[in-house]
This record gives sequence, structure tokens and C-alpha cells, in this order.
Amino acid sequence: MAGNFSQRAEAGAAASQLPTPYSDLRVFELSGDPASEALGKLMATMGADVIKVELPEGAASRHIGPTATGARDGDPDASLNFWFYNVSKRSVVIDYRTADGMARLRDLLRRADIVITGWRPSDWAALGVSPDDLRTDAPQLIVANLSPFGLDGPWADLVSSDLVGLALGGPLNSCGYDDHAIPPIRPGGDQGYQLTASFGHLGVLLALLERHQTGHGQIVDVAMHDCLSVSAELANPYWFYPRVLVHRQTCRHAQPTATQPALFATADDRYVYFALITAEQKPWQSLVSWMESKRLVADLTDPAYADPAYRLAHFAHIQQIVEVFFLLQPAGEIYRDGQQRGLPIGVLNAPEDLPLDEHLTARGFFVPVDDDAPGGPHLYPGAPIRFSALAAAPITRAPRLGEHTTEVLGGAA
Amino acid sequence: MYADDQRRPRPRRGPLAGIRVADFCWMGVGSVATRLLADFGAEVIKIEDRTRIDTPRKLPLYKGESARNFGEEVVGADPDKGGLFNNYCRNKLGVTINMRAAEGRRLAERLIAASSVVTENFAPGVMERWGLSYERIRELRPDVIYARMSGYGHSGPHASYRSYGPVVQAVSGLSYISGLPGKEPSGWGLSYMDNQAAFYNSAAILMAIRHRALTGEGTEIDVSAVETGIGLLGPVLLDVTVNGRVTRGDGYPTGNRLEHPDGAPHGIYPARGEDRWVAIAVFTDEEWERFADAIGRPEWTLDRRFATQHSRWENQDALDEQVAAWTVRMDRYEVTKLLQDAGVRAGAVQNAEDLNEADPQLEHRGVFFEMDHPVIGEARFEGVPIRFAQTRADNWRSGPLLGEDNEFVFTELLGIGADEYAELASTGVI
Repeated sequence: MAGNFSQRAEAGAAASQLPTPYSDLRVFELSGDPASEALGKLMATMGADVIKVELPEGAASRHIGPTATGARDGDPDASLNFWFYNVSKRSVVIDYRTADGMARLRDLLRRADIVITGWRPSDWAALGVSPDDLRTDAPQLIVANLSPFGLDGPWADLVSSDLVGLALGGPLNSCGYDDHAIPPIRPGGDQGYQLTASFGHLGVLLALLERHQTGHGQIVDVAMHDCLSVSAELANPYWFYPRVLVHRQTCRHAQPTATQPALFATADDRYVYFALITAEQKPWQSLVSWMESKRLVADLTDPAYADPAYRLAHFAHIQQIVEVFFLLQPAGEIYRDGQQRGLPIGVLNAPEDLPLDEHLTARGFFVPVDDDAPGGPHLYPGAPIRFSALAAAPITRAPRLGEHTTEVLGGAA
Repeated sequence: MYADDQRRPRPRRGPLAGIRVADFCWMGVGSVATRLLADFGAEVIKIEDRTRIDTPRKLPLYKGESARNFGEEVVGADPDKGGLFNNYCRNKLGVTINMRAAEGRRLAERLIAASSVVTENFAPGVMERWGLSYERIRELRPDVIYARMSGYGHSGPHASYRSYGPVVQAVSGLSYISGLPGKEPSGWGLSYMDNQAAFYNSAAILMAIRHRALTGEGTEIDVSAVETGIGLLGPVLLDVTVNGRVTRGDGYPTGNRLEHPDGAPHGIYPARGEDRWVAIAVFTDEEWERFADAIGRPEWTLDRRFATQHSRWENQDALDEQVAAWTVRMDRYEVTKLLQDAGVRAGAVQNAEDLNEADPQLEHRGVFFEMDHPVIGEARFEGVPIRFAQTRADNWRSGPLLGEDNEFVFTELLGIGADEYAELASTGVI
């Protein structure tokens, strides 16, 4: 096992005496789409002062469910969608559609490091400002604009969504079922937006490093479409090199031609992921000895199977026996036993399984957060990045609409 | 030293110029994570082992050859012709070190001492077996950044579990939350988490570089891909932890339909042609009116069941049948244009050929680019999809041939004499 890194990091984080990576940064977040909000969240959980600037009606994300149990209809402060993407931020209300509001916002940006926007060229035009304008009195400012298609190009003003973005950008073409009468299926969460947020974060970091050398901020233009077009893993390289297309398969890699299923049903009506590969000797022996230990090895101990060529010729038979082997055991046991034998098997956890996972618990990954829902505190996912010399910021509940207006603006909004 | 002088490393440009990385990464996650550093000026020296060739060198994505699935490796193939490796390792230098030999480990330590960032994504414990704990590395370079990327992180009872993209996606819940209700999960058709974990790792390294630039202090970094994946699950996770929802046996997940907000139509609909599809997403009454206008207001759009956003969402089976009956007669790009012209969110499902050969937006934005490679020839690359007003990616060279930069790195950068270099080569240390 690896050294004492994590004890050290956990002890440090618990004591909260370590600095956070972004403790010196002030970020204003002007948009309410998941890409912008996820970027703001990444920065807030790493210690930046992220101030969400909302219009009086509140960010669009406040009006998307699910809501906390017992909330009244239309409560802008009860959306779990909003809570998920906006922990550890502050909220101020400024109506920057008005000249006064815009002047007030630009005044704030003079003392800001980063502003996160999410607008198409036509949206900027409607507001009567450009990304350059925001930097006129604020040369230090980094403008990170995360939009569907970017700030220029023939599609720059088209409209999109997570589903539409994943379709046009390519990843969706690789996702779905073996049965191609079923359309491609969008992977869950908001992954088109999440990939955009990840590139937005990298863009902000590179701009910060550049600013450290030059003293100047700049515009960072991130398009969801660009991000997704390079995020389908093997699909582009298969086109670049052998010039072939990949075809979607159920819960396993899209490939030029069909491969064996990798999803196995288990005794408790769950699934495990296991790519049965018979070519290599060591994993094959691990699998057979495991099956033998459960007395479910059937004929696979026959010496003929010691030969990879024989295994390849009888692959379908092996696959069937392995299917039965998994079908007779609960998923959690398969996961543990297989991994302990060095086989890369994954259990398909549902979200409710995760807070119970012994490994995540030992690492203290989920953290209790005092939110506005009854019965709290509730568990939220913790920071995914750990440093020995730095700590993530404590996660605090998402702000209520305009909760910090007075604190930030010092009076009338 | 270099047959082609163009291959010889030159001073790099970009915000990371001057930062040298001793890069032990391999496979997907690690290589993608350090690629970003190389793209923006860091001198990333990829350390390979001739007896344990990096998998992307072996996956049979070969230019000018026929289609092979990635499991169908060709025994004895030239490790320099692997396209995926080229894609992952552009702009990096490549050296070989036999880490099983004591001399090799000593050489690695010299390289680390001359670097300021060390990266690795082996199973936890491998670097320690080579004596390369954080403590040791810090002795070699006191302000070092030691970035460690793994499936489960470097502590906890499952730290030694084996993983790659699909396993991470399964364990983190990302596979389970993807699919049609009542069917097995469709999950992911790619190693999404090889990308996302890589990006989180790149970000962590950049944060540490910034911290060091501000304070002079280095750090060790621990990123778990599973934990990164859980953080990407989205609001359903809070529905579970705050509201106590149980997603199993619940008609969940919902395929291309949404639980929140009540978007409808919201799906992937068939278009004319074989396996051609188009995405449509309508979120408001206003968008619905534009949608209905755009498709010529057929009778069915007046159906009472489709009168409001919420009633459309509640009657999606009937609605989707009507929408599909309209789309199936049309070309996927025709649907896209017709609806986008009306301000309705729609887009063809595009494949790699569509993106690379016909997408006017990507062409305009210059997302893909070409560089020459000594064995492969001209090759296309996926650029970094970030447009900076000032900063530029520094694409100076395609991926390194196996050990291509040994002489440059060991003699010019580390100052090893000719005799010793010859000895390292003849004894199989490099």
C-alpha cells in the first residue's frame, strides 16, 4: 500500500490549517447553466470566493428539480439541482440588464480575478456589452465564457442542451445498446456540461499562470461543442488512423466490430462489469482458480483450456459458464473477491450504494453539510482532489437567492 | 542525434515553459493528463520501459490498415506506429529506463532531481517499490510536485483494487444512472472517466504549479478517479442523500427523457437513413410553439395532451411517436436546420467522420490539426478545445518514438558523458 500520504492529507484537511489552492481568488459567476455552475463549484470547493450574481428572478437552475422534500412550490431556495451545483458560493442579486446594474457589476469586476459567463454572441449583444468591454477597466480580469458553440463561427448562435450537445459533439454516437433499433442513449448527469466545465477550469488555470507572468487577464472562450468533439476517446483516433467508425454496444466500448458483452447480471439482480479477456495467462488463471474455489468452474480446468488458442476457439462456451458463475453470486461479493484476486471487476453501484461504501467511508469522501432541508446535516460529495500541502475548502450549503447581497454590495442592490 | 533536425527539442513557448516533468504516466488517464502540460510549454519527459510497452502503443489503431477492435493486438507490431499513443503523447519527449534495474532507478532519480514535477498513474505501491516515495522524491527536489493518479486514491481498503475507465464508471455510479428503465444500464461506450479523471489531474497539477509560483512550496497530489466520477453524478445524488430516494426499482434511469426539468419532446429521434438520429429538446411552451410552427403545425400538435409543457412531459410516449413519425422521413441535418432556424434546440447525432470531414463549426474553430510523424506520416490530432485571446498551445512535435530522446535527455539535459551513456545503452538500462 502507498505511504502515509493520505493520513497526512486527511489530518491536515481536518485541522483546516492548510491554505486552499484558490484562497486569493475572487470569482463572479453570471450564468446559471450547469457548465458555468460546475466551474464555479470547482473553484469554490478549492477555496475561491465565488459570488454568484443572479437576476432578481434567480438563476434558472433554482427552478429545476428535484426539490428538497417538503419545499413549497416555486421556492427558489429548495432546488437540489441548484444545491448540487452551487455549494460553497455566495449569492448577490444585481439586475445587470439595466444600465445601473451593469455599472454596478462592472465596478465589482474591477476588483475580481475571474468572471464566468455562459453567453452566445447574440446574448452578449442583447446585454449591450462584449467580453472585451468587461476588461476595459479591469486588465487583470479573466473572462471565462462557457457557451454552446463558442464566441464565433457559423453555429455560434445556435441553441443547445446537454442532450443536443452530446449528439452534435459526438460522444452520444458511442453510447447506447447493442440493439440499434434503440437510439443512442444519453449517459446520466449533465456530462456535456461537465466536460465543458473541466476544460473551462483548465482554461482558467492556464490564464492564471499566464497572468502570473504578464499581469494581464484575457478572454477564455470555451465551447461545449469543441469540448465534446474531442471527448469520445477512441472514436476520433479510429477515424484518424484506420479511418473506420465505431459502433455503440451495451455498456462497453463502441468498437469497429461487435465484441462480447461485459455486463453480467448477479444473484441479487444487480450487475457487474467485467471484460472477459482470455488471451493473457495470468488473469485467466486467476479467474479459473476463483471459479474453482466456488465450485462453479465447470469444465474450464480441462488442460485443453491452458492454450489461449483453444480458449479463443471456445470463447462463447467460456462466456456462458462465466455468466452462470456471476448469476449465482451477489454483486458485492463478486466485486470484492474478484478484485482481491487482481481482476479488474466493477460493481455497478447505484447512487444510494455510495455512502455505504467502506472505501469511500474510510477516505472520508462524503461530508456532512448543514443545508436547508429537514433531518440534516446531509451527505455531499467531497473534494475529488487532495494535496498534502493544501486543503479543499469546507463545503457549505448553496446560498439562498440574494443571501449575500448586502454583505457584498454594502447596501442597496 | 536526430536524423531529422525538426525532431530535436527546442525551447518551448507557453505559460508552462521552463517546467520539466518526469512523467511516469502510461495508459489513458495519465497520458491525457500530462498531454495538456506538454501542449502549453512544459518539457514533459515520458519515461517508458522497453520490456513493458505502453498499451496505447500496442492498440491496433494503425494508419492505412484495416479495422481491428482494440483488443486485437498484433504480436510484434512496431511500437512506433500506434496511432492512439501518438494522439496521447504529442509534444512530449520520450526516454526509456529499465526501472527493474538498480542502475535504472538511479538514472530515474537523476532525472527527477533535474525536474520539478513528477507524475505517475501506476497501481498504488509501484513507485514505492522503486524507492520513489514522496519523502524520497522531496529529498531529490525539495519543492517537487508529485502528482499521483489512481482509480481509488492512495489510501483506504480498496486502494489496491484494479481499475480502468469502465470499472471506474461502474463503481462511481455513472454507468448505473445511464440507460432505459427496466433494461440493463447502457452506461458508457467509451472510457469517459479516463478523460474526466485526466482533466481533474491536469487541473490539480496546474493548481500546485500556481501554488508553488506564489509560495515556493511543492506538494503531493492524490486524485481518485472513482471520487471524481461520483462528483459528476449530478443532482440525483442529492435526491438520494437529502431526500432519501432509492433509485433501484424505480423506473430509473429514464433513458433520453428527463425527470427534471419537464422537457418534452426530449429525445433522440430516428432520421432518414441507416442508424441516423437527431436530438430534439423542448423546455418551454414558447419553444413548443416555435417547434409546432417549424414543422407546419400538423393536426396532432393540437392534441389536448400536448397543450402544456407539463402535459407534454406526462404524455411522452404518445408525443414521441408523433415526433418520430415526422423526423423519420427527414435527413438529420434537415431537421437540425429547420428547428435551429426556429430557435429550437436540435442537433444531428454526429460520428467521427461527420465531425472531422463536414462540421463547419469545428472547421472554423480549428479544433483539429495535423502534424507529421516519422513512422505514421501525417496524422490528425484532437486539439485543446480552449480558445484563449493570448495564450497559445505550442504544438511542436508528434509523439516520441520509443526512446527517441534518450541521448538528448541523458547527455544534454542530465550531462551524462558519452562513455557512461554508451554503457547505459549496452547494458539495457535505457
